[in-house]
Amino acid sequence: MKQHETTQSKRNRPDELNVYADVYNVLLGGMLLSTALFVAAIVKALLRPEFVPLSPQWIKEHYHWSAIVHGIVSFDPTVIMLIATLLLILTPVARVVVSVYAFWVDHDHKFVVITFIVLLVIILTVVLGMFGLT
Amino acid sequence: MQYSYSFVGLLFAIACAAGLLGALLGIGGGIFLVPAMVLMLHLPMKIAVAASVVSVIATSNAGGSSYVDQRITNLRMGMFLEIFTTVGALSGTILALYLRDWAIQLIFAFMLGYMAYAAFSTRNLDDQRIASGEFARTRPDRFARWLKLRGDYYDEAAKRDVQYVVNGVPIGASIAYLAGIASGLLGVGGGALKVSAMNRYMNVPMKAAVGTSKLMIGVTAAVSSILFFLAGLIHFTVVGPVAVGTTAGATAGTMIMNRLHSTRLKWLFAVLMLYLAYEMLAKGLNTGFQWRLPSAA
Repeated sequence: MKQHETTQSKRNRPDELNVYADVYNVLLGGMLLSTALFVAAIVKALLRPEFVPLSPQWIKEHYHWSAIVHGIVSFDPTVIMLIATLLLILTPVARVVVSVYAFWVDHDHKFVVITFIVLLVIILTVVLGMFGLT
Repeated sequence: MQYSYSFVGLLFAIACAAGLLGALLGIGGGIFLVPAMVLMLHLPMKIAVAASVVSVIATSNAGGSSYVDQRITNLRMGMFLEIFTTVGALSGTILALYLRDWAIQLIFAFMLGYMAYAAFSTRNLDDQRIASGEFARTRPDRFARWLKLRGDYYDEAAKRDVQYVVNGVPIGASIAYLAGIASGLLGVGGGALKVSAMNRYMNVPMKAAVGTSKLMIGVTAAVSSILFFLAGLIHFTVVGPVAVGTTAGATAGTMIMNRLHSTRLKWLFAVLMLYLAYEMLAKGLNTGFQWRLPSAA
């Protein structure tokens, strides 16, 4: 283990320190937060399973802002899982955004551009998807 | 069907297994999850696919963060290849409107078959090249030099620091693009193709390829998930246990991956590719010629 730590500290090249640390923090934060919400909501759902039907039609009814706000206040398991899902989905996107910043801080301009292109393609795909072009 | 302990428990167990295998192989694990959810839990296909796509992000966050922490992931190479994968996914989704499915499925079946053969035939090569330090002695191509695409990680099975120089960037990028197309067109994550591309053509050791692919698939899956989310296809109460299960499985997988010898990983990988090639062949023959081969998907 000690040898592992030594080789790791050697490997932390100054030009890559920020990127590795920032990417790790974003991924870990997103993972822990969404998992905690999912676990709490699953426990609540299992205590009152009769309020958690599994029919696909039922999801549509929970796609309104009013239902979401009400669900947060009353700790509705489905709405809490909706928020956890959203957090989960946005984590990799946040990872790309944070990488742009971290490469910028590291003065690695080539990779600022490369990571920014990835971000643009993600945005383009979402926009095309929203307008039904894909 | 009710949200019972057995339903949640089974969903969690299936997801754990998929997360574990996914972390070992650098893939999302959707190929195990979707058939299991449809066949064992009788969930509708669309709900299973949407839950599986979201869970790919969960395994990518869990596995990706651990591999980043262990410095197995090559972030620069991952970011660079992500351009090609995301553009590939976008063009794949658009291509799906114009191309005949069966032809593409058959092309991918042969490609996957070849990748299975490639992984099997080079199963001992990684361990030999790590032992001889050959990964570090290869000459980088001009793209790799320009982008400073070198890397190193500590291999716990070989008990040494493994340095490597990346080359073959154009062919690696082309396969990453094809992996993106596969994901957009056929609804697979494309992780298996990315691992193959890095290991076979870019002089990247198997474990670094697995770690980098694990991080990359999160972005592709996030884009698909946003589209599923906006279309109202994600069933959150199903996603919950699946996401928690894949996170647990992936976390366990990342703890053992670096301790395994690359030869074992490649065996597992070759079997997986062969299975995927068969499933794709079955799908292609069924769509194009109505020839039915037995299939789980």
